[in-house]
Amino acid sequence: MHIPDGYLSPATCAVAGAVMVPVIGVACAKTKEVVKERHAPLLALGAAYSFMVMMFNVPIPDGTTAHAVGAVLIAVLLGPWAATVCVSSALVIQALFFGDGGVLALGANTFNMALVMPFVGYGVYLLLTRNTSLTSKRRAIAAGVGGYIGLNIAAFCAAIEFGLQPTLFHTANGTPLYAPFHLAQTIPAMALAHLTIAGTVEFILTVGVVAYLQRANLPLLRINHPGVVDTDAELAPTRGRPALRWALIGITTMIALSPLGLLAPGGAYGEDAPNELNLGKYGLNAVPSGLAKYNDFWKHTLLPDYGFSSGRHANLAYVLSAIFGALVVGAVVFTLAAAIRALTRRTEAQAEAA
Amino acid sequence: MTDGASTPSWLLAGAEDAPPLLCSGKRRRGGAIEKTLDGLAGLIREALESEEVAARRGLLQRLDARAKLIGMLGLLIATGLVRHIPVLLGLYALTLVLAAASRIGLGWFAKRVWFFIPLFTGVIVAPAMFSFITPGEIVLPLGHWFGHEVGLTRQGLTSAGLIVVRAATSISLVVLLTLTTSWTRLLAALRALFVPRLLVLVLGMAYRYIFVLLDSVSEMVTARRARTVAAKRSRRGERAIAGFSAGALFGKAHALSEEIHQAMLARGFSGEARTLERPRLGAIDAVSLVACLALAILVVGGDRALGL
Repeated sequence: MHIPDGYLSPATCAVAGAVMVPVIGVACAKTKEVVKERHAPLLALGAAYSFMVMMFNVPIPDGTTAHAVGAVLIAVLLGPWAATVCVSSALVIQALFFGDGGVLALGANTFNMALVMPFVGYGVYLLLTRNTSLTSKRRAIAAGVGGYIGLNIAAFCAAIEFGLQPTLFHTANGTPLYAPFHLAQTIPAMALAHLTIAGTVEFILTVGVVAYLQRANLPLLRINHPGVVDTDAELAPTRGRPALRWALIGITTMIALSPLGLLAPGGAYGEDAPNELNLGKYGLNAVPSGLAKYNDFWKHTLLPDYGFSSGRHANLAYVLSAIFGALVVGAVVFTLAAAIRALTRRTEAQAEAA
Repeated sequence: MTDGASTPSWLLAGAEDAPPLLCSGKRRRGGAIEKTLDGLAGLIREALESEEVAARRGLLQRLDARAKLIGMLGLLIATGLVRHIPVLLGLYALTLVLAAASRIGLGWFAKRVWFFIPLFTGVIVAPAMFSFITPGEIVLPLGHWFGHEVGLTRQGLTSAGLIVVRAATSISLVVLLTLTTSWTRLLAALRALFVPRLLVLVLGMAYRYIFVLLDSVSEMVTARRARTVAAKRSRRGERAIAGFSAGALFGKAHALSEEIHQAMLARGFSGEARTLERPRLGAIDAVSLVACLALAILVVGGDRALGL
């Protein structure tokens, strides 16, 4: 996945570099917060580890080389920002001393392997380890899955950067100026190599290290997992059913955000009030008599247009309307559900009796 | 350490003199992992131990690291923008001249650069010469495929040539910089050019750690082999051992990191990369930097004048 100099146009390199310069700055600042400077040797080891892992690479005949990166393991141990710092360092050393990955292409290479990979992988890891203890088996597997997915997404990014070159940069007679392979060739080649070989290596390594540390060295895992309990037995029993909790959180968020609707200009199509209708547009002289007659048929609304009748405190009224509406709808659905449950129980009881 | 007088001679004698440890049974050849490790160790040592070249008195060694770094970046960008093989060849010749002026053996220099070319570039570029990948005017027909003429195309050959020469020139420029600059000065130059302190710190330590890591890994592999008595290899076991070894290394480093950091503080570490002499931009540095950048602009301009 190391893109050498000469494969990407300087324009592509400049774009990637412009993205990565601020990212590296932020990563260094964030890493200092999480990992502290006294762990600098550990960061250096992370960089050296990533360097070693990346040295084992196999060239594949389509513009790329395949290897594991180790970025997600570092993200799990020290946090994703630290992984950005570590993998970037490894890439700098490789570019300077081994010609493995270019110096101008450092922006693109760090974008793929030091930004996309640890963050995607770590995101997957966090999703899969919600509500697990530090020593749970799920955690080790989740780290491996994160590594596998992170590596493949990174490879996909590299394939796109490569594959765009012949389309964007070629001479008048069709000679590609930089990498000659098109997207249709780079994406399958990268996907094949990384979905099979490199991804598997990444998975095995990441699971292996995390599983080992779970058994032999918990303090090391605790650096990036403050407040996570050690064993499954210590897990606090979760209040309520998790699905219900998440549904409540979702509905509450939506209620809180409901006044956003006031910001939207214009109304929904076909819901205009009769006096707001642009009659000329529809070739009419007056509001149609039926519309005028039935529009005000029901005048007893509690909160007309989701507002108070006085028309003041629009935001508050919107939130109140949302809460009220949610409660009413909830009550209706709850009653219906209770009725259906009671009915099915009775039917089942009758079936059993028969 | 080199005091031979106090060391008994039997300790200094080679291992050949010792009686064979494995008297019976078949001795298994070292596995692929060990061989790769040994190869890697040699390669990394060779690539990183350029301090000796950096200490020679040559043209580039005399220049300030910051000037060299910026000059190299300028020439690298120019190399990226050039679109004609002859111009690229001219730039490559320039790197050879610079290498000679910096007392770097040309054969050795070329070998170092071209070692990476077939590995990472040649194999990859080869298919691009064919009409499958790069359609165009066929100059060397190789037969027919479902009614279409296939062969090497002019466009494909030009493109492959461009990539190979451009990659070689780029790597030569980078190798020139790293060969003629000691690592501490290079780090100081990076720091001077606004690379964050933490990144420079990690870079400096990782450079040392690579050797430590290599030694530890080969020791672990040897120890593992010494303990293995099973007749058959277990693939699962080998897979697990890779994870365990890496995990154990992280554990060791964690235990050490506190002590190393304290030792660093005790030696006056403040986070900045320092060199013994204060680097100062002299007239020669300024002149060469300007010359480098002017050359870069001239090359790109000349290349554009040749047409697209």
